[in-house]
Amino acid sequence: MQNNLKSIERKLGYTFSFPILFLVFIIIGFPSIYTFILSFTNKRIGYPYHFIGIKNYVDIFKNPVYWRVLSNTIIYTFVCIIIKLMLGFAFALLLNENFKGRGFVRVAMLVPWAIPGMVAAHTWRWMYNDQYGIINAILRNIGLIDNPIPWLSDMKLALIAVIIVNIWRGIPFFLFSILGGLQTIDSQLYDAAKVDGAGIVSRFLNVTVPSIAPVLTITTLLSTIWTFNDFDNIWLITGGGPLNASSVISTFTYETAFISNQMGRALAVAISIIPILIGLMFVANKLLSREDK
Amino acid sequence: MRKSNLKDRKLKKIGIIFFSILGIFWSLFPVYWMLKSSITPDNEMYKLNPSLFPSKITFIHYKDLFTQTKFMTNFWNSLYVSIFSTAIALFFSIIGSYAMVRLRYKGRLFIKNSIFFSYLLPASVLFIPMYIMASKVGLGNNKNALVIVYQTFIIPYCCYMLMSYFVAIPKAMEEAAYIDGCSHIQALIRVILPIALPSIAVVATFAFTLSWNEYLYALVITTSPSQQTVTIGISNFKYSDTFIWGLIMSSSVVASIPAVSLYMLAQRFLKTGLAAGGVKQ
Repeated sequence: MQNNLKSIERKLGYTFSFPILFLVFIIIGFPSIYTFILSFTNKRIGYPYHFIGIKNYVDIFKNPVYWRVLSNTIIYTFVCIIIKLMLGFAFALLLNENFKGRGFVRVAMLVPWAIPGMVAAHTWRWMYNDQYGIINAILRNIGLIDNPIPWLSDMKLALIAVIIVNIWRGIPFFLFSILGGLQTIDSQLYDAAKVDGAGIVSRFLNVTVPSIAPVLTITTLLSTIWTFNDFDNIWLITGGGPLNASSVISTFTYETAFISNQMGRALAVAISIIPILIGLMFVANKLLSREDK
Repeated sequence: MRKSNLKDRKLKKIGIIFFSILGIFWSLFPVYWMLKSSITPDNEMYKLNPSLFPSKITFIHYKDLFTQTKFMTNFWNSLYVSIFSTAIALFFSIIGSYAMVRLRYKGRLFIKNSIFFSYLLPASVLFIPMYIMASKVGLGNNKNALVIVYQTFIIPYCCYMLMSYFVAIPKAMEEAAYIDGCSHIQALIRVILPIALPSIAVVATFAFTLSWNEYLYALVITTSPSQQTVTIGISNFKYSDTFIWGLIMSSSVVASIPAVSLYMLAQRFLKTGLAAGGVKQ
């Protein structure tokens, strides 16, 4: 009887998880392995292909553009994350205070997250427009500049321009995760610290930060993975230009595959960052399973 | 002592007001600019010094959008893809999460981990495999391919969220059902689902917006307007390198409405803390 029940449970367990296994192994796994193999070929859309060994990988590692793109990706990720973390933290502290109108500020600050990413990208592209854009108009009117700034066509500014938009979109994610953490802190901890004579800064460093350290790490890590792979934002604002100045791995992969029609090589580009991703994923998995306990 | 306290409090109040205004302005200005541009006549829009407020309001961009373009087709496609992909993902995620949280069988942990890794696997790595798969199975340029491909991120997201909700439901309630002679499936339907229904609704809402907002897969898999979703439709409003900003802004407003309103509805019920971090930026 007991055995029978256990076997029913086991059967049901496998039946219920079968669709997930199908998704992971057939829909995701099989095409991934197939394309991994294709990265060793000279595949182009609409042509037969043959194996060329590791030539694609050698080619991309020899290509200075690849290294430029990889360094852009790392700069983009790093700068975006640091600023999103700082501003998200600051605004979480603000919304953790009790004040009139807090509800409105909360909803307003959620909006950039709720707006579809490509809508945000188009809107910012329009605001950045060097002739008719509102950003240049405002800067001109308050006397900061005389000539319009070519936000999206300047080699140095293009990457900064897309970074700003990613930060705009990404602050709410940090804000609301951190705010959730702040709200779980026991207020007695603050009172105890006050009795011990701790000032604001010391209370922040010794009570606030340690209490939400797990939330901070996981939020940062998840956002790092998503920022590292951001596509919509960059593709729709600068297209990776000018001359790859704001190109990142994801846009470079797309360009190589669908515009230069070098599918095999594009796959080599996409696969080349998998070690970095797997590293980040393992850390995330470790942290989150610790969080469960 | 008292005086400095009062001063501190005043300073704090000024700080709060200052940063609140800053936060509101920073978050809402682009949205305002999108709305404003969508009702600004072309001759005023393409002026060297655009004014902050429209002097004349026009709905010509919206009229053009609904009558001259295929945008409504894109809109219905988005609705179709989002509804079906959410419904399918929800069904499989509910039974899958239930199994992983409540049933004992070998390999459970392995399945849990594989969901977690799929959750983090980005579209920028998977889009070529998905593109090739869709063409191989004859679903190239077909919106139904999106319904399948979107499962790669919606199911992991739903499972990840649902598992955390299901775990929190006290086991005693199911045990009472088992004593009454319920099977596992009956316990799931009669005990777990009613309790978890509000959380399931929240997860469904976010799953819907995830698929509504998706861009990269839609870009590579669908090529004709009859199959494309709004995210692609908006980007199509240009002649070679010239953007038709009036149409882009008005279609952006229309495309934002479902996602933003659902977000606003669901955010009140969102579990705070880590679970809040489940939704991709």
